[in-house]
Amino acid sequence: MLNSFSLRFLTLAIFWIGLLVLKLINMLESHFLPLAVVFSVLILLGTALEIFLGYAGDRYLLSVAETLLAIGLVLLIRINPSLAEDQFIWANLGLVVFYIVLFGLRDYRKLEQYQYIWGLAALVLLLITLLFGVNIHGATSWIKIGSRSFQPEELVKVVLLLFMSAYLNNNQELLRVGTIQVGRISLPDRKTLGPFAFICLIVLALLAAQKSLGTALVFFLLMVFIVYMVTERLFYLVTSVPLVVLMGTAGYILFDHVKIRVATWLNPWLDSTGGGFQIAQSIFAISGGRLLGTGLGNGIGAYQIPLAESDFIFSVMAEELGFFGAMAVITLFLVLVLRALAIGIKASDRFGQILASGIGILIGLEVLIILAGVTKMLPLTGLPLPWVSYGGSSLIIHFLLLGLVTNISHNSAFSMSGVRVGKRVGIYE
Amino acid sequence: MVFMNSGIRKIALIFVFSFVFLSFGLVYWQVIRADTMLDNPANRRAVLLEKRIKRGGIYDRNGIVLAQTKQTEKGRVREYPQKDMFQPLLGYATLQYGSTGLEAAEAANLLGMKEKSLVRKIQNTFELPREGNDLILTLDTRLQEVAYQKLKGRAGAVVALDPRNGEVLVLLSQPSFDGNTIVADWNEVVNSKGSPMLNHAFAKYPPGSIMKVVTSVAIFRSGFDTTDLYHCQGTTVINGQTIIEQNHKAHGWVNYDLALAYSCNNYFAEYGVKTGDKSFLQAAAGFGFGQSIPFDIEIPRSSITRDDPLPDKLNLNLFAASTFGQGQVMVSPFHMALITAGVANKGKIMTPHLIDRVLDSQQNIIYNSKPEVWLEALSVEEAEKIKDAMVLAVNQGTAAPGAIPGVQIAAKTGSAEPGGDQNTHAWYIAFAPADNPIIALAVLVENGGTGGGAAAPIAKAVIEKALELKEGGNQ
Repeated sequence: MLNSFSLRFLTLAIFWIGLLVLKLINMLESHFLPLAVVFSVLILLGTALEIFLGYAGDRYLLSVAETLLAIGLVLLIRINPSLAEDQFIWANLGLVVFYIVLFGLRDYRKLEQYQYIWGLAALVLLLITLLFGVNIHGATSWIKIGSRSFQPEELVKVVLLLFMSAYLNNNQELLRVGTIQVGRISLPDRKTLGPFAFICLIVLALLAAQKSLGTALVFFLLMVFIVYMVTERLFYLVTSVPLVVLMGTAGYILFDHVKIRVATWLNPWLDSTGGGFQIAQSIFAISGGRLLGTGLGNGIGAYQIPLAESDFIFSVMAEELGFFGAMAVITLFLVLVLRALAIGIKASDRFGQILASGIGILIGLEVLIILAGVTKMLPLTGLPLPWVSYGGSSLIIHFLLLGLVTNISHNSAFSMSGVRVGKRVGIYE
Repeated sequence: MVFMNSGIRKIALIFVFSFVFLSFGLVYWQVIRADTMLDNPANRRAVLLEKRIKRGGIYDRNGIVLAQTKQTEKGRVREYPQKDMFQPLLGYATLQYGSTGLEAAEAANLLGMKEKSLVRKIQNTFELPREGNDLILTLDTRLQEVAYQKLKGRAGAVVALDPRNGEVLVLLSQPSFDGNTIVADWNEVVNSKGSPMLNHAFAKYPPGSIMKVVTSVAIFRSGFDTTDLYHCQGTTVINGQTIIEQNHKAHGWVNYDLALAYSCNNYFAEYGVKTGDKSFLQAAAGFGFGQSIPFDIEIPRSSITRDDPLPDKLNLNLFAASTFGQGQVMVSPFHMALITAGVANKGKIMTPHLIDRVLDSQQNIIYNSKPEVWLEALSVEEAEKIKDAMVLAVNQGTAAPGAIPGVQIAAKTGSAEPGGDQNTHAWYIAFAPADNPIIALAVLVENGGTGGGAAAPIAKAVIEKALELKEGGNQ
């Protein structure tokens, strides 16, 4: 009990120290004070709620996510105060969504029944985006309603994970063993693999059509990793390599902006004022940070890098908080991913296992791909950094996913020690 | 549950490795490439940072302003009150043309980014330095002025050191430019003759006869009796190569001291070659040939041959020419001043330094220089022998034009052939007083003719001024 609160106090300490520094250098406008207080109170209320309702699951997941969110909020106030105001509202809403999923969802296993609805929902959401979406920063991945716009592909992450978890849970044996023998490799038959492969391919094709290539890459790797995890067959992992190469080449030939991305990735300095501007500025900012950073508010990258508030927020962080600050954030993400995978291991049923680990894999991939992009280890693909970047859709969805993992963790805590799978034991009975 | 635990564990392992790999990416940019990225021309970071900070001042050893930033109605202006006297050493820091010289080499200090103590570092993390640090140099404007007035109008360099501690007292390069108007004068300066942007004190020239100081050490160490007499007939042939004396003068019977005093090429070629190339190259290495000089500004390494600054062996003809500083030997006036200072300081070459102190904007000392030995080039006895010969060179040899009444100085001339039909480069190295030196210097006048004619008067004037200032108790 003390543990939960002390972790939250640590999170809030980081948050308020960040605000204090901003205040000292005159970068904190006074109207942020009530927003910060509301956010802090909500965090503490949530903790009290956990204790009151006897939460028994993982104690680190939410703390880590809240810490990342707090760091993100401080950075956003520094980068763009008006966007930060928005983000405070999304942050509070995200916390509410999290607790609704954690305590409102009575039995996550029921979600498994709707597997084809999830699969279909993924396709419909992407199709609607493609037809009615608006183009922002080169990708048609936004739907505008009134003055607000949101990214349906964030919601697709949830429904696709639900679909994959349910489907793979039901067909795990067949995928693992296979029914058709081709040489020394046994493959699953068309009936087993068909629907899964169909939905996955259509999802990827729709994302490619929207030019949402970063998300497409995340989804593809997510599919491969989950199938590998469930079947434990190296075959699936190995066959994905030529597929990635093939898809990458196809993308390179089909889309001009992929060509530009690759060219600027290989040599951003050639055209560092044109196509290579973003990545060059990102690298300059990161290098400028060195070990200790320039200090919060002192960097140049926050003004120089385009999209410093979303895709490139990590570069600003690496400049102002230095190598140590950036490593701390990377470590927080790794903790988050490993905790989610650990919950997967401990989950009381296979659906929960696949879902929890799948969420861990998804977050891990998102972080890896955007961070590898801004540090020039991979070609740049526009993705928000979960919990840290500005953006309501991403924030709400990631809290929803976090809610699902914690729900699984909470439930499996009661199903341990030999209680039969599927029978609910706990305070709700 | 144990359905697919090993699968999840493998995935976890993949993520751990990937995240570790990601952190290598950060190490690469933030540690390994941090400096090169700052130098990238597309990176406006340095310029943008500079705009926020008032660059620190640069002062000579007596507090005379060499460079300072002043606030005017039009914004900040970088002023160089001594105009072109300390250029291109000080260099410039402009938005249009970047920065060079000391302004570039000491940018971290001048912009207040260099902090010694952890406390200051943490303070700076939360509060940007608004004012840079001041540099107090070891240079003495009064001596620099003398050298400047004497060399003005010609191309060349004067470098004077305090041999006891390696303090650089004079560092003059001519022609130069005015740092105040460099932006306006840019095209004119870049296209004008004599390379005003080039610091001639750091450029390399053939040393000519002053190289005999280095050859001397090889001769001593090979066990020759330096009192032995050699008969100089004006020319000698070594391995088919004729070695000619300057002006074809035959020096007659000379021992080592007289050979150095008269600058006898034949003696040094004959004896030098007898010591063997290994011995000669070892002596050169001892004086710092082929090594980079530890200094605030990068100086090209002095070299014995074109292809290799310090080869393992030399062919005989090249070797014979190298003994009296021709062939392919190249050395900077700055290095030559260090070699002279080594002889003056009983064999020990002190690490040269230009920055005496660094003061932060509150005038706290954050850096204080201290004397260190760079090389132990020769023994006390060897240094004594060379000094005696250099004294003889002043009293009855080629270095006589530098003699100062009432004070014994030690000196050596050089007239190096640059190749082609050009006039020889005039060199003069000296230290004074010979027995208790307070100054050691090297003067080079590009295509100036003979060392005694063109370079000696400049050295003499600087030494006289230094001695006069010492009398006044100022040094």
